Amino acid sequence: MLSMKNKRFNLLLIAAVTLVAAWSLWPTWRDYSLSQQLNSLRSAPDSLRFSLSNRDEIENARKKSLKLGLDLKGGMHLVMEVDQVDLFEQKAWNKDAKFIAIMKNVRAKASQSDARVLDILYGEFKNENMRLSRYFYDIRNSDQEIVKKLEKESEDALNRAKEIIRNRIDQYGVAEPVITTQGSRKLIIELPGVSDENRVRNLLKGTAKLEFRLLRDPEILVRTLDRLNTYIVQNSTALQSTSDSNAASSVSSQLKAPVPAKPASSRSLYDDIRVYQNGTAYTTEHSRDYVVSLIRRSDIQALLPQDTELLLSAKSDLINNEKHFTLYLVKKTPELTGGVITEAKATFGSQGVQPEVLMAMNSEGTSKWARITGANIGKRIAIVLDGAVYSAPVVQSKIPSGNSVINGIESLEEAKDLEIVLKAGALPAPVRIIEERSVGPSLGADYIRAGVLSLAWAFCAVSVFMLVYYKKAGIAADIALVLNIVIVLSVLAGFNASLSLPGIAGIVLTIGMAVDANVLIYERIREELDGGKVLKSAIEVGYDRAFSSIFDSHVTTLSAAFLLYTYGIGPIQGFALTLMIGTAASLFTSIVVTKEIFSFLLVRNLMTQKSFG
Amino acid sequence: MRIFHKTSFDFIRFRKIAYGFSLVLLASGLISLAVKGLNYGIDFRGGSEVLIRFEKNIDVSTVRTVLDAAGVSGSLKQYGLDRSFLFSTVFNGETNDLKSLVSHALNDRLKGNHHEIVRIDAVGPSIASDLKWSAVKALIASLLAILIYVGFRFELKFATAGVVAIFHDILTVLGLFSILGGLFDFMPLEMDQSIIAAFLTIAGYSITDTVVVYDRIRERIRGQKPADYERIFNESMNQTLSRTIITSGTVLLSVLVLFIFAGPAIRGFAFAVFIGILIGTYSSIFVAAPLVFDWLRLSKSPVHLRGSKVS
Repeated sequence: MLSMKNKRFNLLLIAAVTLVAAWSLWPTWRDYSLSQQLNSLRSAPDSLRFSLSNRDEIENARKKSLKLGLDLKGGMHLVMEVDQVDLFEQKAWNKDAKFIAIMKNVRAKASQSDARVLDILYGEFKNENMRLSRYFYDIRNSDQEIVKKLEKESEDALNRAKEIIRNRIDQYGVAEPVITTQGSRKLIIELPGVSDENRVRNLLKGTAKLEFRLLRDPEILVRTLDRLNTYIVQNSTALQSTSDSNAASSVSSQLKAPVPAKPASSRSLYDDIRVYQNGTAYTTEHSRDYVVSLIRRSDIQALLPQDTELLLSAKSDLINNEKHFTLYLVKKTPELTGGVITEAKATFGSQGVQPEVLMAMNSEGTSKWARITGANIGKRIAIVLDGAVYSAPVVQSKIPSGNSVINGIESLEEAKDLEIVLKAGALPAPVRIIEERSVGPSLGADYIRAGVLSLAWAFCAVSVFMLVYYKKAGIAADIALVLNIVIVLSVLAGFNASLSLPGIAGIVLTIGMAVDANVLIYERIREELDGGKVLKSAIEVGYDRAFSSIFDSHVTTLSAAFLLYTYGIGPIQGFALTLMIGTAASLFTSIVVTKEIFSFLLVRNLMTQKSFG
Repeated sequence: MRIFHKTSFDFIRFRKIAYGFSLVLLASGLISLAVKGLNYGIDFRGGSEVLIRFEKNIDVSTVRTVLDAAGVSGSLKQYGLDRSFLFSTVFNGETNDLKSLVSHALNDRLKGNHHEIVRIDAVGPSIASDLKWSAVKALIASLLAILIYVGFRFELKFATAGVVAIFHDILTVLGLFSILGGLFDFMPLEMDQSIIAAFLTIAGYSITDTVVVYDRIRERIRGQKPADYERIFNESMNQTLSRTIITSGTVLLSVLVLFIFAGPAIRGFAFAVFIGILIGTYSSIFVAAPLVFDWLRLSKSPVHLRGSKVS
């Protein structure tokens, strides 16, 4: 009586699992068949009419269908890091040489380890026997209070960075981007189907810090450069070694042909920078890396006039077939920052050829901008984005409307990207790409082909083997195997997880492992039959006795897969996930399902002693 | 169909030879690990890799010369066998520069042969050390979990021998990776995340065959005299030999399919799992069970196995 009840329950369970699996995979099938229909339509109007009339169904099916991973679909996986050292530097006040030295240490340590930047910072201050309140927040705050405040600060920064990057991506237009935070300083960004990776990278990594800064007079620039030149010539021997080490550590120099080293004696600033009659200074593309490293050096910066900074132009001019970058001397304190920008629009300029970005400001910005322009008529104001000067127009008259323009942009595409980043706002701190994996669509198609081929062959090989080796009982194992694969796919689809190439590898491995349970059971049944038991009781005992080994081996495989899922990252998780689902499902399919098949066959006398091969 | 039906191999008698074989296997692997070391992939080493595919056949040295001439420093090697090359270089945040540098150089100098950059991987140093640590943690945690579980289900001696066998399997594969690393164009055998996945798969599966043998021993050893242990161990292993081999066989079959069809990205993984399962099957018969036997023999105390059924 009990077994009858059990049996009915098992049958119900099998039916329910099959139905749920089919229901979960139905949208995937619809999505596939709809896109097949769409592809079969030849003319554009036909396919447009088809997609319009079936729009709801197409969208619904697509939303609920089994997603393909980035590696199969093609796309970018990025891990970006918010520069917390920079963030903390921004938060500090009365920074002195000591502080700069400490922060340099912190930066070096943070780049080497995965420890929290805040802990490293706190540790460094402790080593120096200094209190954080000397530079951060209020002097009366205890270290713990400051650590807590900075922690909040960095959390906010990460979340703000996430929102801003999401805005940028949304404006750029990527279908189904996934942006998540990890730990205290990492953002994980998944962008399926991105074709122009270069543009996306540029769009993501710029801080978009817009500043309006007053230009110093050309005479001051000329005098400053003279002073720098004297200093450099005096220190040329010492300089040679430092500039070499600078060149080695600068990010791009390892990839580019090294700047030819010049003899130490003849090192003069004017080898690399040319000054024209009208007081403008240029550097060539050839010397650009050197000049960039030069103007970042603190000893050089110390020689500049109070509250000024040397900046290079973002774009180059072609002079005598060589790219020239303009060197500007600007005030360090910005007159106005990008926070006041409310609207940005990429257009073509008055001549209709030069792309530019028009900006509008909020009321506070408008009144400030009017005051600034009014007070500086005839002077030049540089428009600086992320430390590069885009243009430095002469103020013709007071601007009361709060409008401004960025020009000096090469293409409309770039203007559009500027529009996006300006609208989305500036990032609280610089972000860096620390991991990137991008797969082009053609390789993705290769992966899909390889994955499908592996699945098909593995299934054929294993199921044919089971049929040959175990005869009729092999059929039951093969049915269970099909159900197992269906369950894995339906769980992935149902939980909105995506299928990647490692995920397919997990399914292929599952195919080989799922039949193991059947092998163990069948071998035991054969043994019992050899021992003289009748078929029915041999099957009973076989299932009963084999269960312990099956359970143990499933638990060990499951726990290994679970730990892999927990500690693994990205692609490996996909593998661990399918392996876990497959192993767990095979406990059900290989034991419950096959047993029901046997009892169905037994009742109808469709099995004999020979059915187990 | 039946293979290995009613065998009567004297496994226990041959265990010393098997111990010797395993020791040689492990020692050669360890020596190679010490001398030659491992090829680390970018997951653990950090760096940038660009996968370039050409339209027509081209020699690896031609591409290398072109990239060298353009001043792009890094190493280039054949990837898989289909006109694809993997260019690896140091990590810097500027993937754009790297990509444009590579494709400009190739476009300028190899005009007749169109190329496509099909994949870019860049892993920063902090991520690499992160990945390394999580790999170590996952391995240790899974070995511990298995030790505890098998110890709980059987007995500490059985569990320890089982985990020793897992160590044996993983170290053998690791040694083989060191010995064979970089020898084949069609599989680079680099240590990366997927190989860690392979190790965990091996760890989880290696114990499967062992458990099957243990289970039979447990079933038969209850109430028997220690003098009969040798016979019981041998009979148990012979009785389970067929299923040990068939279960491994089906998994080997599907891993072989992966090795052949799933492409170069999965090949290293498939190789590791294939060898691991092969070794794991061997070790469950020749390492795990004999170790338990020797341990029981030396300790001279009767076993108290958990969970054995009275039948």
